[in-house]
Amino acid sequence: MNEQIRAITELDRVIHEPGRLMIVALLGAVKECDFLYLLHETEMNKGNLSSHLARLEEAGYVEIEKTYRGKVPQTLLRLTRAGRVAFEQYRKGLKAAF
Amino acid sequence: MGRPKRYDNIDGTGEMFMGLMILGFALAGYLEAILPENSSRWMHGIVLYGVLIPVLGFGYWVRRVIKKHITWPRTGYAAYPRRGRKSWWIGIVATFLIAAVIAAAGACLMGFARRHDAMSIPRMGMLASIIAVYAFWVFFMCKKDPWKWLVLIFMALGLLAITLIVPGDFIWLSHPALLFVGLVWLGSGGATLYSYIRYTQPPAPEAE
Repeated sequence: MNEQIRAITELDRVIHEPGRLMIVALLGAVKECDFLYLLHETEMNKGNLSSHLARLEEAGYVEIEKTYRGKVPQTLLRLTRAGRVAFEQYRKGLKAAF
Repeated sequence: MGRPKRYDNIDGTGEMFMGLMILGFALAGYLEAILPENSSRWMHGIVLYGVLIPVLGFGYWVRRVIKKHITWPRTGYAAYPRRGRKSWWIGIVATFLIAAVIAAAGACLMGFARRHDAMSIPRMGMLASIIAVYAFWVFFMCKKDPWKWLVLIFMALGLLAITLIVPGDFIWLSHPALLFVGLVWLGSGGATLYSYIRYTQPPAPEAE
């Protein structure tokens, strides 16, 4: 099989899904953010966003911290080291493929 | 991805902070101008930092308050990693290159002006740098606000008017120019904040 074509098959499927790719790309550009920020930037609904985040957390790519800002609950999100590495590899893989 | 960086100025606080900083420089310039001619460098330094530090502190506090009470509850909180040295240098070099090009073009155009003292290179360079910084900001940070280009034109025309009215070297020119530019930055940021508040609403309490 052509090396370039093989690069496509080797892409990380957890990140490759468009919704999760948006989340990882946004988290890759910030140190940390909250749920509301991702909701606003991705324009997903809460259910979709939550399920994608759960999938990313399960893969060890995203760290989710439940906290409070004053009396208001806040969900802080950040990309883990493994998440950053996986995103970088995904970008390289995509570049190699195209 | 530039979008998360642009989010930092979604409420116009970045521009307002910049405007306050420029107004601080203008105020310090005016205060320095009324110091006796034989004042020591220390005195000038004290005036400069005595104005700038409180102004920047105030700007930082205002920005923080707006973020905490308006922006984060409406469209979310994001913290940014520290910038690398490389990206700072690219920005600075690009700004100065653009300023140099605009200064050269401006100086040629001003050659036709009746007031020959208005076409000195330091004066034109200073004005072009000011315009280039705002143009750089609008191009990279305000892609969703095309009306900012009109603000840029207004700023350029205002500076042109100031340069034709105010005689003397570029130091004398810098005082009204910085005052005007600071107010324009502040106004532009204020308009962005107004528009942000008008078109965004905090989510219902059961958001998360």
